[in-house]
Amino acid sequence: MSTINVKVAAVEEVTPLIKHFRLESEDGADLPPFSGGSHIVVTMDAEGRTYRNPYSLMGSPSDTRAYHISVRRQESSRGGSVFMHERVQVGMRLKITHPVNLFSLSKLAHKHILIAGGIGITPFMSQIEDLKAVDADYELHYAFRSYEQAAFVNELEEKCEGKLYCYADSQNERIDLTELLRHQPLGTHVYVCGPSPMVVAVLETARNLGWPENNIHHEEFSAPPVGEPFKVQLARSGIEVEVPAEMSMLEAIEEAGVAADSLCRGGVCGRCELTVLETDGGIQHHDHYLSDSEKVSCRSIMPCVSRTKGKRLVVDL
Amino acid sequence: MERGYWIKSKPIYTSLTWHEKATSHLVLATGIGGMAVLKLFQQMHPTQPVTVLYGKYGQIELDYSDTLKSIIQDDLHLYKFEEDLLKKLQVLLRDATMGLRIYVAGSEGFIWDVVAAAKPFGIQESEIMKEQVDTLARTVYCVHCKTITKYVTTNITCCNGCERMLFVRDHFSRNLGAYMGLMVDAESPGELPAIEEIYP
Ligand code: FES
Repeated sequence: MSTINVKVAAVEEVTPLIKHFRLESEDGADLPPFSGGSHIVVTMDAEGRTYRNPYSLMGSPSDTRAYHISVRRQESSRGGSVFMHERVQVGMRLKITHPVNLFSLSKLAHKHILIAGGIGITPFMSQIEDLKAVDADYELHYAFRSYEQAAFVNELEEKCEGKLYCYADSQNERIDLTELLRHQPLGTHVYVCGPSPMVVAVLETARNLGWPENNIHHEEFSAPPVGEPFKVQLARSGIEVEVPAEMSMLEAIEEAGVAADSLCRGGVCGRCELTVLETDGGIQHHDHYLSDSEKVSCRSIMPCVSRTKGKRLVVDL
Repeated sequence: MERGYWIKSKPIYTSLTWHEKATSHLVLATGIGGMAVLKLFQQMHPTQPVTVLYGKYGQIELDYSDTLKSIIQDDLHLYKFEEDLLKKLQVLLRDATMGLRIYVAGSEGFIWDVVAAAKPFGIQESEIMKEQVDTLARTVYCVHCKTITKYVTTNITCCNGCERMLFVRDHFSRNLGAYMGLMVDAESPGELPAIEEIYP
């Protein structure tokens, strides 16, 4: 994958858990243009291992002098977000991929319902710029733990002009999804980005209310779930890779020097799909790409987020 | 036609079956398409509200109006002209909410007229369940003068607009709801292959 060399131009602590980074190209040139909802993958070289984490671009798509990303320090940390928080400083060089948009706004939509959970707000920050530019009808529903921990609320309030609805868990405020999705006019599209249970709840509610698949969009940026260590055998390359508890299978394969395809690194796009040839313990599917019946059949795995419950897995790679 | 040959643009029609998940249903049919509606109600009577718009236009068309009236206690509307039926469709869509599922049964021309009427409301063609009944007659779009000729049953037809002889291709435009018609005798005027009825 072709990469862009960037330098960190500014770092700002948005909340005790969230940091905002401004990235500029190393040679000061403009960065490639992007559309609202795009993400980049940041490569971090820590001692001993490489992290590759996807982050949404949250700046305005009309500004290509810099990219803006926000990183939440993950509690069950596996390193990537901690590295960004503790090690990355102004002036440091990083490698990033070209922006990819797997969470783009539908051009056919008459109305957009955006639902964000916590740090899942980031892709919507750039999308709102796009929506405002065409004066589109939208609502942003933003759920978080508490006002103290929520990022960008003031900024959004200003930008969204009355179209922002906030829900603080600490004050027992919850989004009533059924109520929200039951009364939307035809041609409405819903977008959700947040923790897995929230994504699942939105998908299920919309589907149960008869929303067509085309009108439902989701993105999930969570650290790949940790699990038990296991060994994966790459049948075509003829090598065996150890997957430690706190590393995803995709990361372990990359670490072993084998080129594996990936795009979203969050179990959504389907790019990393691998055919399972053998398993001794079944698959723990954490993705939103495979259908339920495909998951049951255990013939495929999305190594960016999924693991095996067994000791050994053989895949066609 | 070559065996196993299939053009991606060619629409695929199915038999109507209820969407299990919906907040309301809207069924549209004409003529013999009424049978598809009756079959739908044979499957079951959904718990959600159902609206049926049925058109019986021509004299010779089969008429299921009476049977439909006795079966459907919900919202049934009968029409003599497609224009009126489509107008009612637009009125209904204006106030409809997400979760409405749409079903159409009729000639290919009728199906795509409904698709076109629903499109401005943000409804994508793929969301509408379609059953083709009655006739395989094609709506043909002349790529030369852009006129649309309806109810074409032959492989070659005369364009209603420019009177060129058009070969009816398999290439279907979802936007126009029509098959592409290309002049046949461009090279050697007047020399026409045999005209056959292949879309009865
Ligand atoms: S990289 Fe997208 S599903 Fe794994």
